[in-house]
Amino acid sequence: MSDQREAGRASAPPFVVMEHITKRFPGVVANDDVSLEVRAGEVHALIGENGAGKSTLMRVLYGMYPADEGRIMVNGEDVKISSPRVAIQHGIGMVHQHFVLVDPFTVTENVILGDEGGSVLDMDAAHEKVAALAKTYGFHVLPSAIVEDLSVGEEQRVEILKALYRGVDLLILDEPTAVLTPLEARDLFENLRRLRDDGKAIVFISHKLDEVLEIADRITVLRRGQIVGETRPAETSKAKLAEMMVGRPVLFRLDKPEVEIGERVLEVDGLLGEGKLNGISLQVRAREILGIAGVEGNGQRELAEALIGLRQPAAGTIRLAGHDIAGWSVAEIRNAGVAYIPEDRQEQGLVLNMTLWENSLLGRADDRPFSGRTGFLFIQKIKDMARKLVKAFDVRARSINVNASTLSGGNQQKLVLARELDTSPKLLIASQPTRGLDVGAIEFVWRQILHQKEEGRGVLLISAELDEIYALSDRILTIYEGRITGEYPPDALPEELGIGMLGATETAEAS
Amino acid sequence: MSAAATSLPSRSRPPWLDAFVGQGLALLFAFAIAVAVGSLIIILYGENPLTVYGAMLSFGFRDATSLGNILSIATPLIFAALAVSVCFKGGLFNIGVEGQFLVGMVTASWAALAFDFLPGLTHMIVVLVFACIGGMVYAAVPGILKVTTGAHEVVTTIMMNQIAISIVKFALDGPLRFTKAPPGQNVDLRTDIFESSALVPDLGHLFGVESSAHLSWLFPIAIVASVFVWFLIKRMRLGYEARAVGSSAGSARAGGISIGSVQIKLFLISGALAGLVGMQQVLAERGALVQNYEAQLGFTGIAVAFLGQNNPIGIVFAAILWAFLSRGETALQIETDVPREFVIILQGILIFCVVVVYQIAKRRLARRELQRAGAEVGLRDTAAPSDLALEEG
Repeated sequence: MSDQREAGRASAPPFVVMEHITKRFPGVVANDDVSLEVRAGEVHALIGENGAGKSTLMRVLYGMYPADEGRIMVNGEDVKISSPRVAIQHGIGMVHQHFVLVDPFTVTENVILGDEGGSVLDMDAAHEKVAALAKTYGFHVLPSAIVEDLSVGEEQRVEILKALYRGVDLLILDEPTAVLTPLEARDLFENLRRLRDDGKAIVFISHKLDEVLEIADRITVLRRGQIVGETRPAETSKAKLAEMMVGRPVLFRLDKPEVEIGERVLEVDGLLGEGKLNGISLQVRAREILGIAGVEGNGQRELAEALIGLRQPAAGTIRLAGHDIAGWSVAEIRNAGVAYIPEDRQEQGLVLNMTLWENSLLGRADDRPFSGRTGFLFIQKIKDMARKLVKAFDVRARSINVNASTLSGGNQQKLVLARELDTSPKLLIASQPTRGLDVGAIEFVWRQILHQKEEGRGVLLISAELDEIYALSDRILTIYEGRITGEYPPDALPEELGIGMLGATETAEAS
Repeated sequence: MSAAATSLPSRSRPPWLDAFVGQGLALLFAFAIAVAVGSLIIILYGENPLTVYGAMLSFGFRDATSLGNILSIATPLIFAALAVSVCFKGGLFNIGVEGQFLVGMVTASWAALAFDFLPGLTHMIVVLVFACIGGMVYAAVPGILKVTTGAHEVVTTIMMNQIAISIVKFALDGPLRFTKAPPGQNVDLRTDIFESSALVPDLGHLFGVESSAHLSWLFPIAIVASVFVWFLIKRMRLGYEARAVGSSAGSARAGGISIGSVQIKLFLISGALAGLVGMQQVLAERGALVQNYEAQLGFTGIAVAFLGQNNPIGIVFAAILWAFLSRGETALQIETDVPREFVIILQGILIFCVVVVYQIAKRRLARRELQRAGAEVGLRDTAAPSDLALEEG
């Protein structure tokens, strides 16, 4: 990045100015006197913990919520943005975390939807325009492709194209990388840089600090609805940003407890199964964290599900503390001492419209203290247990009688952890345990997992985040296309792991 | 501006009361809308809505016998709606209550005839048990098919409803056909009249209800059944597991709950309740299984379950409301020129309004709950994605 460009950008008049924006919800001040400037040709990162008010601020700008106080100026003129349609007219576009595409339509049909221009469609012209847009900004997506055939990363590109097609000058991206694989994220960044160099303004909402440091030109940090600072990547660091976000220092490298590795807890040999299990063998010992690193979709989910009994392997053995558990039911495997933190806590971890205390009982309703032989639940005992868990794991909730859906992602994950670890398992399977969590919550989850080691448990950690793998693992395996492609010590270089994650089988066997 | 001060609305009502009041108001509101739309229709017929509703009310609450009538109409509806709701809690849509109740009538009638040597109460209990067994066996089929082959219960139960109609016909024309017909009379196809020991005794006479209302001990049994279902859902392991399966099958499975076993148990309980649906007409009104039996009760049960929001206690009130409206049909015929089908229209509108209004109320409640949770935990960004979708639309 050249200094001239930097200087030129700073002197240019801001494209959008938000002044003294206050937005209240009943009982909550979501944005409290927030002012923000976004200039053309910059990537402006908006960071903060979940619930800090980042998305609210941008929804105000995009016309989804009216602000209670404050004003918005676009190109120096006061504007009143009453709906997303008005926002787009002023050149402001937004891509949400959850895409709104019509699956059976082509890319072009999706892009022009709502902006077809006249009652007779000129599909050829639209096609050309979309193709030209895609080419200009290096978007690898075919205008004639059907959306339901696209990957998540491609769908996101279609969403961005939708905004560009409408001629927006400011693009708001709400946690765009949350749904992407690392490779797709890299492609996205490439696209964003081109857009920026073309003079577009980009607001990038995120809580992933590495990404922000990589892509942003300016960074604004929000905490509890207020701006706590503005900085530039060159002037700051991950640790400083995290401290601004959370309000206290955050540790990214925790000390791994030094403990003697124990007996083998889990032995998997030649695990084969439909989908992505192509002969996996591995061992986890007590007081050991085995990290499985790999790009998502290479059989990690299938492996975890086979180990907990959700999926029957076609061949291979799974031994838990010496017993062959292949073919056992989930309940049997859990009773034998396996705990499971699923990668998707809303699909496999919690029942969102049940209360916290009911969720804390999931998988344990058969246990004696909680229900009788005749099938009656002992509500008071269950609630006592739930209160204890919520307290011990600092799950922030008004009471244990609220539904799990009212919790933030971090608190939901804490609840899952609390429940799973309360059973004193021999083996913990933790699948993407910090996905979607902010830095404070990540630190908490990591501490808990490291603590399991001291408690004598074996941990199988499956993660697509190399940071996480390094922070926790005693030993690292790489997985590719359902096969283990290498074993590495915890101090192996990322480049070495990269070879295994991309499938090369020349393994650095560390015996 | 003194910033963060999270000014909580000063509110001391506990959330469950909030929810209860909210739901009650929502239902009242839905009822008001239904009555208003009904008024329009009445005006189109050239009648005065006040007269028509007045006639329905004064007829329905005329005397103890009329009230008894309403309760006896409500009795089978309570059983049917409970049967629907038990399955619904586990994410199953049991359309087959209709067929299960028909088969329950057949098995009960067989037991009533076959065990006629049993003394008093024992005979009746055996008959009721056989009604339950008939319903259970018939409900087990779609349950087992669902769990073992994945055949969707809606499809299988609809087909089994058709088969059940034929089973009743077959039974009446074959094994259960009357043998002691009054000589010289042309009698409709039916079973022999049961011994009085098989019948459920009249309850109405204790409250001054004439026996023509057929208010029997089945009504209190239905109330007990609804309390049992409430207890099952809220206080027993099976109910807990059923709700988990119904709300999030993935999380339930990962938690070690055997979805198949839960679903089969729910089908069996549902079938047992369905089996009792036909007992009001067989054991309290006719004393035999007759060819022109009252059908469609299973389907009405679906509507009543909806109206009661699948809440066992709500279902009792919904069934009584439904029965009151049905009773109003007679009032319309006697006292007005509005056709009796008006009641069916009104019942339809009522369901429609309840579904719509209740959904809106539920969303508002959920949003408030979310905001409150957010406020107290210090989270500021309270909008859930589902809310956004609404507001964008």
